[in-house]
Amino acid sequence: MDRLPQLDLEIRSLRKRYGSFTAVDGVSLQVGKGQFVCLLGPSGCGKTTTLRCVAGLEEPDGGDILIGGREVTRDPPWRRDIAMMFQDFALFPHMTVARQVGFGLEMLRKPKAEVGRRVAEVLAAFEIAALADRKPAGLSGGQRQRVALARAMITEPRILLLDEPIGALDYALRETVMIELKQLQRRVGISFIWVTHDQNEAFSLGDHVVVMNHARIEQQGTPEEILHRPRTPFVASFVQGNNSFHGRVAGAERGLLRIAGEAGSFLVPGPARMAGSAASFSVRAERIGPAAAAHPNRVAVRCVTVEYFGSIRRYILERAGGALLKLDQFGAEPAWLRQGEAAEIGWAAEDCVLHDVPEEAAPASSAAPAREVVPA
Amino acid sequence: MMDGTTYASGRARAARRPLLDHRARSRLTAWVLGTLTVGFLLYQWLPILTLSLLSFSGPTGGTTFPMNGVSLHWYRELWDASIMNDFKPPLGRSFLLAIACAVTTCLLSVASAQAMRGRFRGHGLFFYLILLGIMAPGLLVGFGFALVCRILGIETAWNTTAFLVHVSWTLPFGFLAMLAIFNRFDPKLEEAALTLGASRWTAFRRITLPIVLPGVIGSLLFGFSLSYDEFARSMFTTGADITLPLAVMAQLDRQLTPELYAIGAATTVTSLLAILACTFALWGLRRAQRR
Amino acid sequence: MSSIRPGSPAAYWLALPATLWMMAAVVVPVGMIVWVSFWGGRAFSPESPLSLDNYQRFFANRTYMALVLETLRHTATMMLICGVLGYCIAYFLVVKVRSPAWRTVLFLAFVIPFWTSALIRAIAWVPFLGVNGVINQALLALGLADEPVEIFLYSRTGISLAQVPLYTLMASGPVVYMLAQIPPALREAAMTLKAEPVTVFRRVIFPLTLPGVVIGQVLVFLNVMADFATVQTIGGNKIALLPNLVINFYEGAQIRAAAVVAVLLMLCMLAGVAAALRVVDVRRLGAA
Repeated sequence: MDRLPQLDLEIRSLRKRYGSFTAVDGVSLQVGKGQFVCLLGPSGCGKTTTLRCVAGLEEPDGGDILIGGREVTRDPPWRRDIAMMFQDFALFPHMTVARQVGFGLEMLRKPKAEVGRRVAEVLAAFEIAALADRKPAGLSGGQRQRVALARAMITEPRILLLDEPIGALDYALRETVMIELKQLQRRVGISFIWVTHDQNEAFSLGDHVVVMNHARIEQQGTPEEILHRPRTPFVASFVQGNNSFHGRVAGAERGLLRIAGEAGSFLVPGPARMAGSAASFSVRAERIGPAAAAHPNRVAVRCVTVEYFGSIRRYILERAGGALLKLDQFGAEPAWLRQGEAAEIGWAAEDCVLHDVPEEAAPASSAAPAREVVPA
Repeated sequence: MMDGTTYASGRARAARRPLLDHRARSRLTAWVLGTLTVGFLLYQWLPILTLSLLSFSGPTGGTTFPMNGVSLHWYRELWDASIMNDFKPPLGRSFLLAIACAVTTCLLSVASAQAMRGRFRGHGLFFYLILLGIMAPGLLVGFGFALVCRILGIETAWNTTAFLVHVSWTLPFGFLAMLAIFNRFDPKLEEAALTLGASRWTAFRRITLPIVLPGVIGSLLFGFSLSYDEFARSMFTTGADITLPLAVMAQLDRQLTPELYAIGAATTVTSLLAILACTFALWGLRRAQRR
Repeated sequence: MSSIRPGSPAAYWLALPATLWMMAAVVVPVGMIVWVSFWGGRAFSPESPLSLDNYQRFFANRTYMALVLETLRHTATMMLICGVLGYCIAYFLVVKVRSPAWRTVLFLAFVIPFWTSALIRAIAWVPFLGVNGVINQALLALGLADEPVEIFLYSRTGISLAQVPLYTLMASGPVVYMLAQIPPALREAAMTLKAEPVTVFRRVIFPLTLPGVVIGQVLVFLNVMADFATVQTIGGNKIALLPNLVINFYEGAQIRAAAVVAVLLMLCMLAGVAAALRVVDVRRLGAA
């Protein structure tokens, strides 16, 4: 039964268990035509398992997978309209580059002449024509990556699945390859599903980022949304540059919520909530500054150290209670605080991002601020 | 580009679905191969088990079923030496020879493997020279050695010539075991010892040896068990005082009696115990090292 | 830096004992066999002139030539049986068995008999194969035969039956090693490239295990060609293969004839190993 044929991939309530360990717990996802989707999360969160279920390399315990509107949940990998790039490229050591790249077409029973022609085309397109008769052992990391890509793309799949594809490359090479792959995806117009634990990759490449944790999707959306409006404490702490605060709802004022916790009392924009219920919110490090008169939200801090990331100067500040906060300042501006000095920081109410209501009852706000971020 | 031709052909293939789906076929393959494997294991073990069983047959039992009672008769026969076939001296010789082999193999293996680490000129040839011991069959080596002895007028005896040839067979095994262990050995441990003022010999004795002890024990094990069971090389080089495998074969030539089963069962059990003992020793060593 | 300095005299001194030992125990004896095989004249002495007489006498004899062929045929059969069986078992243990505990148990069950005496294992077949043996008793009891089947003992069949368990491990071991080296991602990659499992095996897995198969076959070849003990035990005096001929000649004081047969055995083995090395190397260079 065809549903919404413009969806390249639809996952419905996917579930996968290994013994007593749940790897994927009710994951649902929709991927439109030609979208670049990144599955992001710490190791063990279920992103790779989800990818492998889409590929057909794992059998889910529950849920449905539809590719191009067609149900493929019970289909083996060789019958799905996908191709996959593996972390260590998984090149066949005994085949030449030309033979490997043509492998997928051979499996589709294409005539030899056509296979030869297409292989030559694809090798030229990926600029590896000179390597046609070499074996993988004699290739560099970057060359191997292109061969793996050519091998996958030649079958013109509807979806390309990538399992941490640039993790095996030198640091210097990764940037270049990332840009090339993004351009490739735009040119070819097929959907890419890219699994990574590296935020920089995910936010640079993805049109749509899916943050996963403990077998579930915590939040999905555009990189902007996730970076600037995290909806759970986990997402806030996982993406760089957020300061998280926990507390309880103490009332409402001027249309804003007052949330009081160990760090102090703050005004946060958001819909009304039950008084006394647990709540959390986050503020981006670059939205904080020296406390000004207009700032309703303030915290007294002492500077622990100053770090430098390229053009950003980051102050690591310790507040009462011992938790650390981050304050990012553009490097061109003059330094404001030195190590060991005390100060007061503040920010506007609208810079606060309220998190969704937590599923389980949160611990009392006076508990140790285990969730507050240590600088990434 | 997404012109649909690839997809359509994929669909066409799906239309002619096979009789069993891929999961069922995978399971079927596993079952077939599994049955084959288990069948082979039974096939391998059955003669030994039967032989062990028959070794307990009664005094009137023959070399095959029925057993005519269960007894230790044949073991007792084995123990009380009769004039015809006394297996105790050959057993003693085999045992002593095996011990000598084990110790010599161990020493030579460690020395040779350590020499290999030194990457001296010709170490490639050296490697193949030692490997010759495995590649050259016992028949040829034994025969050749007997020829040499005959021409040079040397008398063959179990404790001289047989010993020499046995070690030539067991040494490659111990050597390979030590090489494998040294491959996984981290030379930085020795470097650390040297920078702390130890001499090369001290570093080897106090640091390296304890860590490569599994290989050392392995070479002892190889030396003992391979020499104890060795038949072909012994045949040509032991002279008049024969070892246990030769005595067994001689008896077999004369007449098959259940005493031989008793020997077979006893030897198998001893080998098993020796292997298990060494495995436990190795396992215990590894646990001690990890702490 | 290590406990031994590269290229130092210490390395040479450490290598010396083993070198001398192997030269004395293996190289010199084998060389002696070759030399003796060329001894002409009537007397058996080192002063004999060198000639090809012994070889001519051997190759002129039709019975012996038939024996050579018979030996080669038997060896080829064993290579085939052990090879196929060994591969199936290796594949099952490495690919199909999921739990590491079971894999260890099965592996031990496979390997332990190898550590017990080969002679005992050969002898263990005798109560099975004879006219009154276990197999015949079972056949009679189950009504599958009216009278004892004679072909088991003192026959090629019996020898083959006894040799298969001895040498399958040798065929299997190298394959196990090569199979274990194949990363699972290769299989998965092939499957995502539209290859069905049979094709994955044929085009990816099997070619990568080919060196292991060849090494296993060489090991079986070398061992079967030289195995006179099993032939003697099971075949009795009725069956003899090439290695037994060496012993027969030796015990009959026909030393030079024994040397000729031994040299022939050596040449067969060298030819086999050389052919195998050629195949393995070609495979590494050739296309899939």
